[in-house]
Amino acid sequence: MLFPTFGFLLFFLAVAAGLAALDTRFGAKKALLVVASYYFYAQWDWRFCFLLAFSTAISFGAGLLIGRLPERRRQRLVLGIAVALHLGLLGLFKYLDFFTLSANELARLLGLQHELPFLGVLLPVGISFFTFHGISYVTDVYRGDVAVCRNPLDMALYMSFFPQLVAGPIVRAAYFLPQLARASAEPIPIAPALLLILGGMFKKIVVANYLATGLVDPVFAAPTSYGGPDLLLATYAYAVQIYCDFSAYTDMAIALAALCGFRFPANFNQPYRAERLREFWQRWHISLSSWLRDYLYKPLGGSREGRLLTYRNLIITMLLGGLWHGAAWKFIAWGALHGGGLAAERMVEPWLGRRAASPLGRAVAILIVFHFVCLAWIFFRAEDFEVARLFIGGLFSGWAGGVQQAEPFVVGLIALGMAGQFLPDRLFDRAADWLGAVPAWGLGATAGVAVAAINALGPEGIAPFIYFRF
Amino acid sequence: MAALERQDIALPAPPVSADAIPLSLRRRGATARQVLAMAAVGAVVLALFASPDLPGWADRLGDGPVARSVQPIAQGWDRAMTRLGLTRPHQAVRDAVQRMQEWQW
Repeated sequence: MLFPTFGFLLFFLAVAAGLAALDTRFGAKKALLVVASYYFYAQWDWRFCFLLAFSTAISFGAGLLIGRLPERRRQRLVLGIAVALHLGLLGLFKYLDFFTLSANELARLLGLQHELPFLGVLLPVGISFFTFHGISYVTDVYRGDVAVCRNPLDMALYMSFFPQLVAGPIVRAAYFLPQLARASAEPIPIAPALLLILGGMFKKIVVANYLATGLVDPVFAAPTSYGGPDLLLATYAYAVQIYCDFSAYTDMAIALAALCGFRFPANFNQPYRAERLREFWQRWHISLSSWLRDYLYKPLGGSREGRLLTYRNLIITMLLGGLWHGAAWKFIAWGALHGGGLAAERMVEPWLGRRAASPLGRAVAILIVFHFVCLAWIFFRAEDFEVARLFIGGLFSGWAGGVQQAEPFVVGLIALGMAGQFLPDRLFDRAADWLGAVPAWGLGATAGVAVAAINALGPEGIAPFIYFRF
Repeated sequence: MAALERQDIALPAPPVSADAIPLSLRRRGATARQVLAMAAVGAVVLALFASPDLPGWADRLGDGPVARSVQPIAQGWDRAMTRLGLTRPHQAVRDAVQRMQEWQW
């Protein structure tokens, strides 16, 4: 069940009706949201609801045990077992086939006869996200950053809440669980939520979908059939497409959570205006990058143990961040590029400074970071290494032929997507403020007309969000 | 370099827990009933003006009993809205996009 569909609208109407009917009964509202979330997840494959419940039980049980044990050593043992169980489930469903294939390939190279059986395990949608939720909770309990959750309903809602269940943002236990302790006294921010939904729908249905079908998919499918201009524009198009696709999902997730009475953290902040690669990661998929920083980079030693170990920690963190995106060498290459880029940036920072001083210097810095990110996106999007190699090679040839595939319409969408990166921050606040004066029925009518217009602007049917496969 | 490393630790952390919707925008808002009213009004308006997308959505539901019962309703609703002239804006927008897609260099 995708967010921008009639099916989801009916589902949300039922949830909104339930929440309105339950009024001040907060416990019953949480129970309703858990049932709704499991129903939402069952729309992909009901069998994986048991996996989600098992993952929830691991975290809940481990949290209780850690809270009960007096010795730090034993608490650490429980934490280790819980994290291992979570990662074991992730490894089984997401990486087993990848490692089997890689091992068999290595065996063939070494001339060995024996091959491991290939199981063809089905990837449960959202497993990477709820696994990170589970690890976040037990680690935060161990560190004392969050109180032990003694209500299984709260834990079930934290792990399964439908807006973030299948593609994030990754919401920390310390951020979300306190919201479940008592009903929020704040009003529901209906106007900003509506703006996030409409903006998200436009980014996904119009920008991302047309860029995918009009340029990115055909060019990445056969890069040797196109010249340099098309390949370059397809690279820019993919940068805009993946931003619009993923940020659209999180915008809608944030808005839906707000309409249900909960707060979510920001996940994107105009990432392509970053002047440093480090800044890019403070603006792109913030919930993942900060998760990796706090649960991987810092435990590895962070930047505390000298330059060389800092570089090593950056590279390991980004390699594993790449592997988190998918069981394929191309994602590892993507992570290696970012890890290497972050390490290289640290090396030259004493000479360059943290920010360029002049406007021209800043513009050059933005261009360099954007093109480095685009280079890494080629590996991320390409079918495999060979396609990525052909694609990058093709960027430097065939410039005399001009563009074949990139029509003015898609180039306009790329420009629109990039322009959105440089809009002033206050624009959203002002629009939300202005809409806030409109009564609820007026907002509903406005939303209905706007969604109908966005539907008409976009192509028929909705492609799944890119991050569903992670 | 050592000074730089120390400075690095003191850097403010990225806004991991910064609310996506800032507090200034959460001061004014609605109740759960008003959210329901907004969603219901939005759904009605959408059903009136986006009816050409309904048959396609119903077809993508698959082949189950629910889909089989929804498909004729969606088609009948779209025909009714077309007779009332409510699908004209949808068609006008779609035609305009089609023309934009046909632009050449």
